[in-house]
Amino acid sequence: MKRGFVFFLVLFGVNFVAQTDPFSPKNGITDKYVLAYVFKNAIIHVSSQETIDNGTLIIKDDKIVAVGQGINVPENSLVFDLKGKHIYHSFIELNSHFGIKKTTKKKWSSTPQYKTSKVGPYHWNEAIHPEYKAEKHYLYNQKIADGYLNKGFGIIISHDNNGIARGDGTLICLTNEKENQVLKESGATFYSFHKGNSNQVYPRSLMGSIALLRQFFIDVNWYNNSPKTTINLSYEAYLKQNSLPKIFSIDYKRDLFRAHKIATEHSLEFIYKGTGKEYENIEQVLKINPTIIVPVNFPKAMDVSDPYEAMKVSTNDLTHWKYASSNLALLEKNNLSFCITSDTLKSKAFFKNLSEAINKGLSYEKAYYSLTEEPAKILGIDNICGTLSKGNLANFIITNDTLFKKNTHIYENWVLGKRTVLKKEPKNDLRGTYNLNIEQQIRKLVVSGSLERPKATISYNIVADSISINGDVVIDSVSKKIFKIKKEIKQSVNIQRSDNTIQLSFPLTNDFIMLSGTIHFDSGSWDGGGQKKDGTWFKWSAIRNKKHSEKKKNNTIKVDTSNVFISNQHVDYLPEKLINTSNVHFKNATIWTVDSLGTIVGDLWIKDGIIKEVGKQIKITDTNELIIIDASDKHISPGIIDEHSHIAIERGVNEGSHAVTSEVRIGDVINPEDVNIYRQLAGGVTSAQLLHGSANPIGGQSAVIKLRWGANAEEMKIASAPGFIKFALGENVKQSNWGYSYSIRYPQTRMGVEQLYYDAFIRAKEYELNWSQYMALDKKKKTKAVAPKKDIQLDALVEIMNQKRFITCHSYVQSEINMLMHMADSMGFNINTFTHILEGYKVADKMKAHGAGGSTFSDWWAYKYEVRDAIPYNACLLSEMGIVTAVNSDDAEMARRLNQEAAKAVKYGGCSQEDALKLVTINPAKLLHIDDRTGSIQKNKDADVVLWSDNPLSIYAKVEQTYVDGKLLFDKNQNEIHEMQQNKIRSEIISEMLKYKAKGQPLSPLKKQNNVVHKCNKTIEIDN
Amino acid sequence: MLLHLCGWMQQSPAPIQSKSILILGGTAHLGNGKVIKDAAIAFENGKITFVKNLLLQNVDTLKFDVVLYTKNKHIYPGFIATNSTLGLMEVGAVRATLDYKEVGKYNPNARTITSFNTDSRIIPTVRTNGILIGQISPRGGIISGTSSVVQFDAWNWEDALINLDEGLHMKWPRYRVIKGSDKRYAENLEQLNVFFDKAKAYSFAETAEKDLKLEAIKSVFTADKRVYINANNVRQLKDIITFKKKYNIQRLSIVGGKQSILIPELLRENKISILLSRVHSLPQYRQDDIHNTYKAATILSNENVEFCFQNAGDMEQMQTRNLPFLAGTAVAYGLDYELAIKALTQTPAKILGLKNYGELKVGYSATLFISEGDALDIITNKVTHAFIDGRQLDLVNEQEKNYLKYKKKYNLKN
Repeated sequence: MKRGFVFFLVLFGVNFVAQTDPFSPKNGITDKYVLAYVFKNAIIHVSSQETIDNGTLIIKDDKIVAVGQGINVPENSLVFDLKGKHIYHSFIELNSHFGIKKTTKKKWSSTPQYKTSKVGPYHWNEAIHPEYKAEKHYLYNQKIADGYLNKGFGIIISHDNNGIARGDGTLICLTNEKENQVLKESGATFYSFHKGNSNQVYPRSLMGSIALLRQFFIDVNWYNNSPKTTINLSYEAYLKQNSLPKIFSIDYKRDLFRAHKIATEHSLEFIYKGTGKEYENIEQVLKINPTIIVPVNFPKAMDVSDPYEAMKVSTNDLTHWKYASSNLALLEKNNLSFCITSDTLKSKAFFKNLSEAINKGLSYEKAYYSLTEEPAKILGIDNICGTLSKGNLANFIITNDTLFKKNTHIYENWVLGKRTVLKKEPKNDLRGTYNLNIEQQIRKLVVSGSLERPKATISYNIVADSISINGDVVIDSVSKKIFKIKKEIKQSVNIQRSDNTIQLSFPLTNDFIMLSGTIHFDSGSWDGGGQKKDGTWFKWSAIRNKKHSEKKKNNTIKVDTSNVFISNQHVDYLPEKLINTSNVHFKNATIWTVDSLGTIVGDLWIKDGIIKEVGKQIKITDTNELIIIDASDKHISPGIIDEHSHIAIERGVNEGSHAVTSEVRIGDVINPEDVNIYRQLAGGVTSAQLLHGSANPIGGQSAVIKLRWGANAEEMKIASAPGFIKFALGENVKQSNWGYSYSIRYPQTRMGVEQLYYDAFIRAKEYELNWSQYMALDKKKKTKAVAPKKDIQLDALVEIMNQKRFITCHSYVQSEINMLMHMADSMGFNINTFTHILEGYKVADKMKAHGAGGSTFSDWWAYKYEVRDAIPYNACLLSEMGIVTAVNSDDAEMARRLNQEAAKAVKYGGCSQEDALKLVTINPAKLLHIDDRTGSIQKNKDADVVLWSDNPLSIYAKVEQTYVDGKLLFDKNQNEIHEMQQNKIRSEIISEMLKYKAKGQPLSPLKKQNNVVHKCNKTIEIDN
Repeated sequence: MLLHLCGWMQQSPAPIQSKSILILGGTAHLGNGKVIKDAAIAFENGKITFVKNLLLQNVDTLKFDVVLYTKNKHIYPGFIATNSTLGLMEVGAVRATLDYKEVGKYNPNARTITSFNTDSRIIPTVRTNGILIGQISPRGGIISGTSSVVQFDAWNWEDALINLDEGLHMKWPRYRVIKGSDKRYAENLEQLNVFFDKAKAYSFAETAEKDLKLEAIKSVFTADKRVYINANNVRQLKDIITFKKKYNIQRLSIVGGKQSILIPELLRENKISILLSRVHSLPQYRQDDIHNTYKAATILSNENVEFCFQNAGDMEQMQTRNLPFLAGTAVAYGLDYELAIKALTQTPAKILGLKNYGELKVGYSATLFISEGDALDIITNKVTHAFIDGRQLDLVNEQEKNYLKYKKKYNLKN
């Protein structure tokens, strides 16, 4: 795009007759006459599919009255000749907060706010405010409106991007006439996972936002179907607007799948405001076939000139810089429907990025469609706009060339038949070669220079004495006369124009000529009068015989798809080649089966994800594509299982705001691209329980996963595993170490913790009873009765009581461990696992009687008061007592060395090595109820196995290969190759970025990669 | 076989060595990178009197009051925990028990030694894994304070002391580029330079009034005090080299040094040693070699950069007992075994300025331990005897007592 275009704006006022508000009384004489505007000889892009060359568009008032070829021009209309110009429908923006006054966040208070501060019959949580009406809060802002007009927009929907249920958006035409601005008071409703300005503590995690929204959709339905004496304005507002399109703002790529899951669960349909990173998970995106409003705010190159600083940039940020512009092309190729949003972009960047997207293969038609027809359809206004059809609103733009080309710009943007001139058309081009006629003498006049500031030179021939090189006058040898020659004189001319008059002045031999004349644009000639030095007047004219020809600027689109993103997922560390291994025979290995077979030197055969045979001598019955691995001197163990992990969890491990949050689910927020998954595969881990943190007595539901690196979040979950939930006791849940302001939430003592459990489970029992009574009603009665309200928090507790969901309870001190077992006994269920359980050795007999298992740290202690009696002999003692005991990590680093942690049971307490290995394999499998599939090397179990260089309990043991479901997901040698490949990818992109720097193009500062690890009660940022 | 010297309840701290002791047989890891497969080590009055190779030399067992037969066992110099907060930090979450971090940015005069709690309940759990000496180091600010070296079997801090006020600990300002530069980093460096300019001038002035802070820096310029600077990134390390040159600091070590493996030659040339960042930690960046923290020691060793192990980080005080296993992991990832032992003994002793510790060597303090097996491997680290200055330590700790108590309650055999 031509530089300076955006600065060269002239915004005209409205000069034409305006439609007036028919309801308001008039002051003065009525303007009755409505002029029709005719745009002829234009290339009219009626829609993405229909273009009329040399067409005519006629508008009257705010509507298009005719469009086509050879249309009769009505009398007394104003005609614009748009020869060579294009007319497009103006764009429609779906993602804007135009004119919305930002609600300021309340001042932070050290005291946590548990209840809503909003007065009135509204939803209990401030982040849920469907009653918000954008129309009441927006204020037309001419400056921002001009920004949108420059970008070619005519209609936008504006909403407040604040909160989870954000209320509606109002549909606005970009005209400054207040009475004509609003097309629809409510055009759509808006949602997100961000709590926004709410100071209420709940929700404080992504999974909390998800739970809150799920429960909201349940509640509003129940509200709708149940008799009520009083009303709730939030629910009323939602129900009133239920038929409007629901736009869900996605700010992190995986939230798309999360929002879609909610939509499916509640039979809703969302339109998604996307991230621009859809290409990274395109296969998963295609499965849900969404409609996405896609941003085109591609990242700028970063300043990566310092190689040590450049290490801070994540590979993903580098690849995104390279591939962001191919996102739209990929979406189109896969037939996804999408709109384009210009949010955060100025016009120059908006068009530049669009043309880049087109370079990468986005079709012009789809781009136009997604800015006009698609958004009109989504908003249900395609009957009045979206195409330049008769009867539609007179919303269009006039451009010099086809849209999205490099040098295309918008001259005018018409909204509701009102004109805004964005760029004045250039003046007629005077440049060329003229014959200047002064008193019948013809001289050549050349006008060159720029369009705006032309320069001129005059040239003519004279007859002059011939002069030799040494300066002598040359004399003809025959005639003895001075030899005459013709000589060309070039003389620069002062030239000045204003509209259609022109002034020229120049010296001519001994004279000085001044000319003033009129420009005749149609013939390209000038004429007028002039004056000489002596004051005499004369007439003159100039006729152009050659137009100025300029080197044509290249304004064609070159499509280059060589840089289109190919890899399906995160590029780092995915051993693509290895994924398909399925038939492997390990020979002569020391195999720790941790099963009845014991530890043997023998063979193992895995195929199709299953352990086929294991033994001292085995028979391989299928040698098709069999890979044979000589494992002499090597060891094979079952895949390690981490009973207590917080890796691969996104945006909050702890909901932890309320004391009871059984409604939240880690399964909603799995991050399958967490590099710690891969790092732990390299430590032999194949399964893990991803747990909620320990900030409240009843935490969230866990996800039991296999470390299927490369799979998506849902695929990671172990389908056969039952539900689990995190409970917690002790200092964390009573907020002992949270600072003094956190002393108002119940409970603050271990006494309160007990009572809280009783309260929760008594509520759950009553809830269950209500439901069973309702379900027992006969059909007739059922239709009359009101169903109890479904409560996702209590549902989880009911599952616990029915042994469908199992508890992993964070615990340290014997008193509370004992208490929880009593509580569970009295409610008729069992505590499945005490995790950490550092004083388990003090109540081992009671745990055994109750039937609880223990998953403990190997040797942690002294970090809190409640762990001062922790001993590293705990695991050994619990095992000896016959309690199913595991050793867990709770730490992303330590999980890479759980084999070493198990070895500590040999050191502290003298466990046998085989029993020690069980602490991180079959025992956690039993605790997680997945021991039928994994945890030991046994025929027909899943092929989750690890090949070690040494005795797996030795500190010198290194993982050489890790298989999950028979797939080789970590391989020592492949890992090295991958590292090299990744480094190559990085340095290639970095050198490309450096070229930008060399060219002096604007760069963005380095974006540091975010590197955090989670523990039960804290999040640690790794120092970069 | 006399495995326990005394049949009676052991005194803790142990009394002065009164009997001559001979350790006969077993593998002696000398601490200097060398090993004797079948060794005999004798000590008397707290000092090692000989270290012999039984294959080449004879030993008269009758000359000794006590003979420990250690065939197939391993003998090591006591391991040294550098950059430790043991005795300064008892229960991480209880503020009342924390004495490792003073308020303010410049605290050179804050000394750890007088806060060192010899009766910390954690120390006995550390000794049992072979760690017998520690550098008790402060944290926080830009200049955190002054460290001292102690041994781990003492009545009080005076008794524990091996090397008083030997090191000045600093935390190099963080370098974080925001919009092309880091103003705060530059300001912090400027401030630090101003402080050191002042300190240098002060160190030459004879009549100056006493300034506690500057007084504490004085010995840095005379090389009596080593400077330990916590820093990880290349930019910081390079600036530290400039700083070292500018103030002509003879003895300087980097604590942490995660990126030291990227510029080993610079560190070697400038005689900077590394107290290596906890081996068991995650790589800094997603794209890093997933095992780079495990391999760092090997890289430094191959590049002849002087380094030792340390364990600062999350729950560092109680994790001190895992120090030998950090070295074990480094061996798994390529480090020579005896060099790993060296980085737990001789090298830290040298860095900390300990004259008679860190080696099994004649004339050196008899600060050593015997393990049933390889002390760097968890399944074989089983310390049966440990001596500090020849005094035999009581190796039963509270944790073990608690274990035995409940085993008895449940009638567990084993």
